[in-house]
Amino acid sequence: MKEKNKMKTKESDKKKDKTFNVRTSAQSTWCPGCFNFMILAGFERFLQNQLKLGKKKEDFAIVTGIGCHGKMFDYINLPGINALHGRGIPISIGMKLAKPNLNVFEFAGDGDSYAEGIEHLVHAARYNSNFKLIVHNNQVFALTVAEPSPVTERGYKDKTTPQGVKLKPLNPIKLMLAAGASFVARVFADVNQIQQVLEEAQKHKGFAFIEVIQPCIIFHPDVDYKQHTYNLADVKHDKTNFKLAMERAEEFDYDTLKSSTKIPLGIFYQKERETFEELV
Amino acid sequence: MSRGYYVFYSRDYESLIRGGHNFNTLSFSNEPIHSNTADIDILVCLDEKTEEMHKKKLKKTSMVLSGEHGNMFFAGQLYKILGIEVEVLEKQMKKLKNFVENMKEAFKGYNSEKRTLGLPKINPNAHSSIRFMNGSQAIVYGALKSGLDFYYAYPMTPATPIMMELGLAQLDKNNHHKVVELESEIAVINAALGSSLVGSKAMIGTSGGGFDLMTESLSLAGMAEIPLVIYLSQRPGPSTGVATYTAQGDLNLARFSGHGEFSRVVIAPGDMKESAEKTGECFYLSQKYRIPCILLGDKHLGESKETFENQIEIMPSINSITKPERFNSYEADSSKDKIATESSDVIKKNMELRLKKQAIIEREVENLETHKIYGNENSRTVVVAWGSVKGAVLDALKILEEEKTEIKFLQIIYIEPFSEKITHELDKARRVIVVENNSTSQLSQLLAEKSQIVVENKNKILRYDGRPFLADELAKEIKRRLR
Repeated sequence: MKEKNKMKTKESDKKKDKTFNVRTSAQSTWCPGCFNFMILAGFERFLQNQLKLGKKKEDFAIVTGIGCHGKMFDYINLPGINALHGRGIPISIGMKLAKPNLNVFEFAGDGDSYAEGIEHLVHAARYNSNFKLIVHNNQVFALTVAEPSPVTERGYKDKTTPQGVKLKPLNPIKLMLAAGASFVARVFADVNQIQQVLEEAQKHKGFAFIEVIQPCIIFHPDVDYKQHTYNLADVKHDKTNFKLAMERAEEFDYDTLKSSTKIPLGIFYQKERETFEELV
Repeated sequence: MSRGYYVFYSRDYESLIRGGHNFNTLSFSNEPIHSNTADIDILVCLDEKTEEMHKKKLKKTSMVLSGEHGNMFFAGQLYKILGIEVEVLEKQMKKLKNFVENMKEAFKGYNSEKRTLGLPKINPNAHSSIRFMNGSQAIVYGALKSGLDFYYAYPMTPATPIMMELGLAQLDKNNHHKVVELESEIAVINAALGSSLVGSKAMIGTSGGGFDLMTESLSLAGMAEIPLVIYLSQRPGPSTGVATYTAQGDLNLARFSGHGEFSRVVIAPGDMKESAEKTGECFYLSQKYRIPCILLGDKHLGESKETFENQIEIMPSINSITKPERFNSYEADSSKDKIATESSDVIKKNMELRLKKQAIIEREVENLETHKIYGNENSRTVVVAWGSVKGAVLDALKILEEEKTEIKFLQIIYIEPFSEKITHELDKARRVIVVENNSTSQLSQLLAEKSQIVVENKNKILRYDGRPFLADELAKEIKRRLR
């Protein structure tokens, strides 16, 4: 009898799980082993948790850009839009203004956020529009096969730059802090880290900038980030202190890793203020 | 107006904040009037430059008000000349600061002036329901009646008056709309698409340069099928061009902008009533068919003010997106959660669905006011024009009628889709004359493409100096083509 009951609960669990299914029927076309799978799984777990806590699928919407990350739209069955390259941010801003209670999560690449649409990134931070931006930073234009992006390290070579990249990369964490982002975080493409930071961002009232270090295993594979990372929470970083946040942001300049390079992960800065939706 | 006259006035100002030479031209008549003329009856010179600059257009009978006086002195003089009691001016000025000092000046002007025009007395109550609006105010009226939720914009002359009018209208508690200025025209169109795709009614406005920036996203609206109303207010280009003057150089831009093939509606209102009503049609059609609708205006229409009596009728508004949906900038499979597709079958099917939609829009638009005919319907000489040129053509026609020359005027309102009825109308003509505010006659290109009509070069009346057509000059130009 006991065994039978157990079986029953398992089945009802399964049924219940189905209502928490947030995937479409699409077959994944990411490379096997791609770190994008970790970001997808982290977001999926976060969503399922939210649904279990009583939120409905209609309470959420996603926006994606163009690049490998953009396939998130094909895999997650939520309303929203797979937008133009670099132009997802103003779409998210417009969605939030029209429906302030909608939880808008935007996924974008380093091309979308730091190249083509960087002006929107700066202004979204300034406006404090209450949507959450997750930047899949693989430090390369992967879908167009290996061109350098604004955050590619010096010395990187591909067919278009046979003599190596000569420009110093941009430091997006510093940029976001300077632009007035009310929530600035960086995590590694790890399921738990993603889920945790999304939960923190969800609780945050205002624009959340989350950069995910997501090494491209095909075009940017030779970097062992994990050896260099440490958790800001472990060093008791005060995330309400802007000056300290800037100092931590300067520890990693996105350039070629040296043995001494340290990459802080976690929330650099968080301070709530009125949102764009409240002010407009 | 309070005397029962019909009024048309246009503004000529330079792109600067203080100084320069700015002037308004005011025409009035006891019959409806839609434009200005070149010659001057009364020239009021608020500075020395004015007389110098407008000397050429003075007639023997012209009156010039000049000298070292303040504005109110001239106002008093002008009232005397026009035969209006100074008390009327007093009543109108009551709200002004320094009313007493101002009126003192006005009385001085009024009493010093001995000339009068001896205008006929008309009944001021003859048209008590008269409206006095510029094109921008009319567009705002249409947008609010259509249930506008969001107007996004980046400031650009001559579209900015809409932003200002709508901005001020936010203070009226009966309105719920929001005016949002964002960092660029690219942000503007994308934010509007964001609001629209979750069910709000969004409108944006700009001029040529800003519109250029928006065109990638115009194509997105076409692909993802998101409703959007775009006000494109023309000024002379290319590039920054002449910021505060008028032109019709962006007909082709409105028609052909955006990559790929997708449906759009382009409507060019020709007067204030049409500006309001066509804005309503833009909202209606964009929602019904989930397409971008472009309202094509210009500085002359947007900033000139005109009296009119007709009632404005705004199309009932509808909301197309009422529940959460998925949209894609990629070609996507509608039967599979709008997942991006590369399937040849789906690509072909989607393209055919878009073409089918285009055909349905064309059919619906045939029931709307795609064009208007004025003047002598039986004449085989047809003047064709679109947009703000309408006013000058109507007044030129009147001048020609007085000289016993009665021709037909065909005003094109719907540029896209283009009505077959216009082609039938043109087929009946023996001589087609086009009047346009551009140098390459983009209207002739449109007629060649849509109606297979070739307009002879000598029959193209083109003005491309940033200024609007003036009725008396235009009448002469048309007459030259009739020989």
